[in-house]
Amino acid sequence: MTENASSLIKHTALMRPDGHAADFCLGCGTCAAGCPMTGIDGFDPRKIVRMAMLGRDEQLAASSLPWLCTLCGRCENACPMGINIVGLIRSARGLTEKDKTPTAIRKGLEMLLETGNILGLPEEDFGFIITDVAEELNEQPGFEDFTVPLEKKDARLLCTLHNKLVNIQNEDLIHWWKIFHLADESWTLPARNWEGVNWGLFSGEDQVLKVAVDNIVQNMERLDARHLMYPE
Amino acid sequence: MEYIESGRITLDRSKISQKVAYHDPCNYGRKSKEMFGYAYYHEPRWILNKCTPNWVDLEPSRNSQYCCGGGGGLMLTTLDDQREYYSRRKIEQIKHSGASLIVVPCHSCHGQIKAMAQKYNLPDIQVKYLWEVVADSLVVE
Repeated sequence: MTENASSLIKHTALMRPDGHAADFCLGCGTCAAGCPMTGIDGFDPRKIVRMAMLGRDEQLAASSLPWLCTLCGRCENACPMGINIVGLIRSARGLTEKDKTPTAIRKGLEMLLETGNILGLPEEDFGFIITDVAEELNEQPGFEDFTVPLEKKDARLLCTLHNKLVNIQNEDLIHWWKIFHLADESWTLPARNWEGVNWGLFSGEDQVLKVAVDNIVQNMERLDARHLMYPE
Repeated sequence: MEYIESGRITLDRSKISQKVAYHDPCNYGRKSKEMFGYAYYHEPRWILNKCTPNWVDLEPSRNSQYCCGGGGGLMLTTLDDQREYYSRRKIEQIKHSGASLIVVPCHSCHGQIKAMAQKYNLPDIQVKYLWEVVADSLVVE
């Protein structure tokens, strides 16, 4: 019997609070049965656990397997041994060579590091979009005096935004604004680093994950906001 | 919930007329349970119920809910065929519910279900955010 190689993927995957390392796998296949991606392009969560267990990091990171997953957690939910399968997959993604990670994610992450948002939208353009949509809302009865409290200090609630809402889905900005307006909420929107989506979570890069979180923490401190609202 | 309970906003339960179904995003359910020890299954349903009496659960739901198929960054890859095939179960589940409005509180699920309803030829299926349904039901004085 050959000895198992050590696996970085296995050791860097965060442990579930009640979870166990990949070595506990019984090979029962419950994860595979519960996963909607099983069988598509050879995907199988059990295969991923097995590869991490045997230390086949390079083979796993070079395959398309980690990127086919939606990280939905159905496999883990079913696993009788509580193995952190999603964590293994995320760690495997982090080991993928930079030029082999999906282009959209790579570009978004570069933009995030450079400009504080995934779109690379400048502060001025962001302000223009927000004001424009607010003016449209002013045309609706009951919202004539609505304004967006950009950069307001001491608000109860600081909102971050999903980048979609200042890109292709501007019209969906107004739902929360209407609710806030009628509830007379004390809220604010930061003029920069408003990005609420953290692609470092998907790409498996903890450094990028941290930068995105730091951006938000700095906004909270700068504006003295008490609560934080994420887009989802 | 706080706004509704305290009366800071008032909702009209008769504004939405069609049959509604609720979808649990992984981030509100399985992921939240894993990371924070609590899954938000009750709260969004409580809010939806304040907006309309005519809503149902998709089957299976909560912990066993089918994933939308667009999460985890998959929508950002070029694996579109795989993503589409993956969603066949989600679409079957939605069809089975008989609902024409799917309510989701997640941007990924929203984008994916909307795109897949197009791909699978269900142009009459509407997809809305939970807070959008709340905003649509607001009583404006």
